[in-house]
Amino acid sequence: MWLPFMGLVIGVIIGLLTDIRIPPEYSNYLSIAILAALDTLFGGIRAQLQNIYDEKVFVSGFFFNIVLAASLAFLGVHLGVDLYLAAVFAFGVRLFQNIAVIRRILLTKWTTNGEK
Amino acid sequence: MGRPKNLYFTVTASIIGLMVAIQFQTVSEPEVRDTRDTWELRNDLMGEKELQSELLREIRTIEDKINKYENEREQSKEQLLKETLEELKVEAGLTEVTGPGIILTLQPIVNELGQEVPISRVSPSLLQRLINELNMYGAVHISVDEQRVINTTVIRDIGTVTKIDGYSLNRLPLQIKVITKNAEEADKLYNRMEISTVVEDFFIDNLRVILEKPQEDIMIPGYQDTIRVRYMEPVETSVGGDG
Repeated sequence: MWLPFMGLVIGVIIGLLTDIRIPPEYSNYLSIAILAALDTLFGGIRAQLQNIYDEKVFVSGFFFNIVLAASLAFLGVHLGVDLYLAAVFAFGVRLFQNIAVIRRILLTKWTTNGEK
Repeated sequence: MGRPKNLYFTVTASIIGLMVAIQFQTVSEPEVRDTRDTWELRNDLMGEKELQSELLREIRTIEDKINKYENEREQSKEQLLKETLEELKVEAGLTEVTGPGIILTLQPIVNELGQEVPISRVSPSLLQRLINELNMYGAVHISVDEQRVINTTVIRDIGTVTKIDGYSLNRLPLQIKVITKNAEEADKLYNRMEISTVVEDFFIDNLRVILEKPQEDIMIPGYQDTIRVRYMEPVETSVGGDG
């Protein structure tokens, strides 16, 4: 399990070292995309823990969610409706649910391991 | 957990990490807090204002320069055109000219009784010959009886009266003023007219041509009417320079 975290850390370090900046007007899209990506990541972790993990679903979900979230935000900006809130809401809720499920699974595992 | 699963996870996680880092850098611009007090602000403002006035001054001087250049350019063009126009006017005979030259006077001859022999008129062909001769020998500007002779001047018989450009030449003596390029030319012209046969031809018409010595300042008036150009057209510019 430590390899994904290593990847995360490496990604952050690369991002900080390369000093890439995007124009501030696009930071909204990026934040939504990050949220979607996080949601997918936690979904993947949960699926793995539940042993229903499918890498195709995971990878396609990852990119599809990012694109969908960004385009929703884009559409919202152009329609004058804060559509990105919908994405934030949906992803946020799912994120919490996923994390809750992960926590429960881990707790179960922990307790079962402790009982053994 | 197989190897590829971990790989995907790692790649995905690193992408997320990259995105987070970028977003972080974009959003968290270090906020520089302004801690200057009133006096420092005032000083800074003063400095900026000085800079502004300096820039304004610079702009003004540069604009002045531009104006000057534009004026110069226009004026030089205009000046050139004006000069050309003046030159052409002088050449066409529209202006009053002064210069060295000679004066010829046509007078009726006096007979033995001291009386003037009556003459009918000055023959236009003879006058034309005289003018041609004068032109041949270096006359630049000619006037006949204060009428400027230009390129389009006509001297002809209209109803038994000799007219030059519609102006009758029926009063004698008749003064013909000639201006040459310089005094030397005037001398030459004088000498040539002294021996000219035209003078004798005038004598047949009972006219005497009195040649005056070359003078330094002879004034010839400009052509008074407008020059009407009827049979001239500008030359079409040929393409490719084939004459």
